[in-house]
Amino acid sequence: MKDKVIPEDFIFASSGYMPECEGVSPVRGVYSHISGIDLVKGKDGEWYILEDNLRVPSGASYPMIARDLCRRSSPKTFRDNLLEDNRNYAQLLRKTMDYVNVEGHTVILTPGRYNAAYFEHSYLAEKTGAHLVNGNELLVENDMLYYVDYKGKKERVGAVYRRISDEYLDPMHFNPESVIGIPHVFDVYRKGKLALLNAIGNGIADDKEIYYFVPKMVKYYLGEEPVLSNAPTYLPFYETDMAYVLAHFDNLVLKDVAEAGGYGVVFGSSMTKAQKADFIALLKREPRRFIAQEVIDFQDLEIQDNGIVVERKADLRAFVLMADEPYVWKSGLTRFSRNPDSFIVNSSQGGGFKDTWVLSR
Amino acid sequence: MGIISLEQTNRLYWLGRYSERVYTTIRLYAKCYDDMLDDIGENYADFCRMLEIPNIYRDKEDFNQRYGFDDADPNSILSNLIRAYDNAIVLREEIGSETLSYIQLAIYAINKAKISRAPLLELQNVEDNILAFWGIADDFIESETTRNIIKMGKRIERIDLYARLKIGAKELKSELHRMHTRLLRSGMPYRESCLERLTDAIEHMDEAHVIDYGGIVQSVESLVLI
Repeated sequence: MKDKVIPEDFIFASSGYMPECEGVSPVRGVYSHISGIDLVKGKDGEWYILEDNLRVPSGASYPMIARDLCRRSSPKTFRDNLLEDNRNYAQLLRKTMDYVNVEGHTVILTPGRYNAAYFEHSYLAEKTGAHLVNGNELLVENDMLYYVDYKGKKERVGAVYRRISDEYLDPMHFNPESVIGIPHVFDVYRKGKLALLNAIGNGIADDKEIYYFVPKMVKYYLGEEPVLSNAPTYLPFYETDMAYVLAHFDNLVLKDVAEAGGYGVVFGSSMTKAQKADFIALLKREPRRFIAQEVIDFQDLEIQDNGIVVERKADLRAFVLMADEPYVWKSGLTRFSRNPDSFIVNSSQGGGFKDTWVLSR
Repeated sequence: MGIISLEQTNRLYWLGRYSERVYTTIRLYAKCYDDMLDDIGENYADFCRMLEIPNIYRDKEDFNQRYGFDDADPNSILSNLIRAYDNAIVLREEIGSETLSYIQLAIYAINKAKISRAPLLELQNVEDNILAFWGIADDFIESETTRNIIKMGKRIERIDLYARLKIGAKELKSELHRMHTRLLRSGMPYRESCLERLTDAIEHMDEAHVIDYGGIVQSVESLVLI
């Protein structure tokens, strides 16, 4: 910001900006312990980064399950092909959690069994040996976080892999109506007596607007061009970008920066004339609310749909874990669209997933 | 990690109780179902009376279907199995996916039984899966405390059911000893007065020649402080 690479008003106006986090340094300086980077391979053969997920990226358990099932159902495939074993994710995650643990137990905080990702929470807890907890099983006392056992004995907690959003983590500091968080946990965190994975406030870094500036950040910090390209992105907030968006509206996909999970995404080409007029009026009224991207015609992958092999759009979420050094998990979550005409692969919108191979050569 | 919260303790305890309830009531139901094939009276009414559940059934066919497989009937076998599952599903990290999977398989089997013309054949699979669940729980769950809490729930449920069914002194004594061991090993808080009353009712019933089954049910239900 000081060197004007990113205009500061983009930071402060972002919905992900949390003033409470000003001046707070997480344990060992790690902010994004688990990052989920969404990639697609265009028909031109190039890989593009669609978005960075640095808050609570989910989906790592599914490739582990998929690999187990695929190995059982098709052993010959795995005998005949040299593949990296991806079933070490739990060890990597455990190492990541232990690296920042502040002298205590490690727990995974879940909002409960009716959360869409509950299976993953419980599965990762089982596989890492961490304890799966609800917010009401944890207690803050004298600037420490404790887990209370059934005899009333308090055990200190040193690391929380939280699977709930920032705003629900602590009702005393964030959303006061949250009943799934832990009152005063933010006080323990900011005093450095607890590690939270991922850090609070990361929403600012995976904001769809900030995505536009990531290649500039890479160049600024590393002095080199990014190895992987972003999808060409425009900020209608800038006059020149707005002019481009209006001129090429039908070729672009527009995304509401406050939405996630495949929601708030509209394709210019799919709008009626009236919808288009309404949307452009909205865009002019609230230019900061949207980004526009070139539609990348990404490659199809074969999937089985009711026993029939068909082609569907697919993307890849790569997972990067940060302990003493960054580690790229040699696997990832390959998600595909169910609908033959859709680019939306999110499981919340009916998308499926496949085993993901990294060849070992 | 070796520590268990109060909420988990509660869930482990009820997992033990509901899985046992399913197992034992399937066996009773199978006997009742078989008897009614020969039209030996309205056995389902006795069945309800024994278990102290309301007789809401129109006739034996209605009983066979609803007591076995109606999830809207809170006393049905299916409802009890769903409750076992509801507790197990939130204990994955404590009991392990493999242990949990046998409860899931039991659900799968009971849903097949529900639409089968020969439900007892499918219910055998439910029983087998419950037995496999017990077996793998014993073999797979590392924490002794966790195992003890589940098994204590199982034993308490069994004493409760045996007392309701007015099963004899020998079986009740055996179950009491097994439950007592688990109770002490689990470290769970309990009411000493209830244990004393329970022991007195079961251990001394031969001398009195009258078994206070109602007292046994009351004491065993109030024993554990959860």
